[in-house]
Amino acid sequence: MASKILPAKESRSIGRSFVLTIPIAIWSALMFTAYAHANRSQWIASLITVVFEVVLFFMMVWTRSTYRWRRRFFVALGLLFPVGFIHEVISMRGTMGIPIEEMIAGRTPFCFLPIPLLILPAALTKMLVFPGSILPNGGMSGGGMAAMAGIWLAVTIVVGKGWCSYACFFGGIEEGVASVPPRARVRKIDPRWRYGPWAVFLAMVLLSLALFEPAYCMWLCPFKAVSEYVAARNTVGVVQNGIFIVLFAGLVIALPLLTKKRTQCAFFCPFGAFQSIFNKTSVFDVRIDKSRCTPCVLCQKSCPTMSLTDESIANGKTLMSCMKCGACVDACPRDAAVWHIRGTEVSFKPERARLMFLYAAWAMAIMFGGGIIAEGLATMLHIFV
Amino acid sequence: MFGRLATNSDAKLVNMASAFALAEALALGLMSGPACVASCGPVVVPTLLAEHSGLRLHGRYLSTFLATRLCGYLLFAALAWEFGNLATLPTSARSLVFGPIHLLLAGALLRYAYSVGRTCDHSCKSAELVTIGAAGNHRIPGAAALGFLTGVSLCPPFVAAGVRAAEATSMVAAVLFFAAFFLGTSIWFVPFAALGWVRRNEAVITVARMAMVLIALYYFYAGLTILIRKNTYGF
Repeated sequence: MASKILPAKESRSIGRSFVLTIPIAIWSALMFTAYAHANRSQWIASLITVVFEVVLFFMMVWTRSTYRWRRRFFVALGLLFPVGFIHEVISMRGTMGIPIEEMIAGRTPFCFLPIPLLILPAALTKMLVFPGSILPNGGMSGGGMAAMAGIWLAVTIVVGKGWCSYACFFGGIEEGVASVPPRARVRKIDPRWRYGPWAVFLAMVLLSLALFEPAYCMWLCPFKAVSEYVAARNTVGVVQNGIFIVLFAGLVIALPLLTKKRTQCAFFCPFGAFQSIFNKTSVFDVRIDKSRCTPCVLCQKSCPTMSLTDESIANGKTLMSCMKCGACVDACPRDAAVWHIRGTEVSFKPERARLMFLYAAWAMAIMFGGGIIAEGLATMLHIFV
Repeated sequence: MFGRLATNSDAKLVNMASAFALAEALALGLMSGPACVASCGPVVVPTLLAEHSGLRLHGRYLSTFLATRLCGYLLFAALAWEFGNLATLPTSARSLVFGPIHLLLAGALLRYAYSVGRTCDHSCKSAELVTIGAAGNHRIPGAAALGFLTGVSLCPPFVAAGVRAAEATSMVAAVLFFAAFFLGTSIWFVPFAALGWVRRNEAVITVARMAMVLIALYYFYAGLTILIRKNTYGF
């Protein structure tokens, strides 16, 4: 959506853009040193991924726009994650279902979505309600929960809810689906649905504590439909998988097609609600420069998560659910929506603020998403070429 | 003379045993309090958040909730003693008790979520008797219904207390055991009153109502699965 209403911005010089891209090129290459002794398809896939990441960053620097380039990476991440993941799961187990033996052995691949559900039970009982291991144990997730949660916490404190637009390997699927129709068929959405993620978050935290299980993973995660589901060995398992499929079809496919919004992220995801809290710790945010704003509400229309309202625009801020995707900044014809570093004036060097945010966010995206994209590509090369 | 001495020492022993049993019940309640809080949290937290702010109002809500929860406990104690032990009843008999309780809990939560959103108008007076969670003072029946239903629900610490109460020498002893157990667990509920300090706005109340609906759906599902005797887990 944002790419169609992109204002004409003066491009940066190619030479300067090239120089500014060098740190990301080095970081991207470093991330793939693990594939030095990989097979040929993995080697080719990682090379393509490095080039893809570096070119997209270069384009963001050169064109001074964020959303459309970030979206390409994000959609590729969302679409290639199931390819690589399902291939790996089936190679190891022969099925996408999680058998009880894998759970007991603590070899369930760890996902970041249940992190907020683990905190209260862990604080009260010193036990995790996720069938994985805290430390590396050679299972599918390899690194263990402590490593993933630690790295996630470190980066999320810096970029806030930017995680949801740069590193989440689920959000890309619905962003890709939302970009398919030329215009939204459903435009009027009750703003109270924005409270949905907080309600799911509250309900799931309480139920996880009461049932001593990651309730969201067990009952409500739409992405179980494209990753790994509960092995349906009885009627209840079938019900659980039915819920996953219905939620995936509704929130990740049908509603994004109708609304052109990231409906699962905006109205359902409890991890997104939890991430919103970290928007308060992040030094980066998006502001509306009231001296420039008309207001034409193009920013509001372009926002995929309904994080801009008339009130918030009047206050010069986004809501705390802002994912820092850059759609509003790119959509604004008067450059009133700007990237901003907390503690500075709103109009103080917004392009510098954008670049500083992008270095942090893109480094995170490469670290978490690069390997996933490469794995998905390698799988496709391995199967089809 | 020797006979009287023996009777006195027997009475002392009985008193000591009763005191020990009550102390044991209190200790059991205090120790398993976090599990009780975790078990009742899905009901208490969203309903409290849907209330207006204020410590007094929350104190009143919690008092009602705990008082009717005590009624549920005592009823359970009496039944546990009468039937030997509810927890070891055949699954078919147990599901007939606890399945409907879950369904009622789901219904009460849904009713609460629905009625919290209604503003009080001229018809409010007539609706007062049946309304569970309407504005202001009329929410107390909701707290009472939820307290009683959570009081008779089966949770792990409750089972432990139920097994012990079933071994009591009389129904009164079983009831006293549960009363002491209740006292121990109730202390853990006091911090919930602090939710009264959370500032209320449309967002908080809407989130609480939506969460109530989700939790009600879970209880509804759990009630149904208990009734049709399926495992709760899919593996």
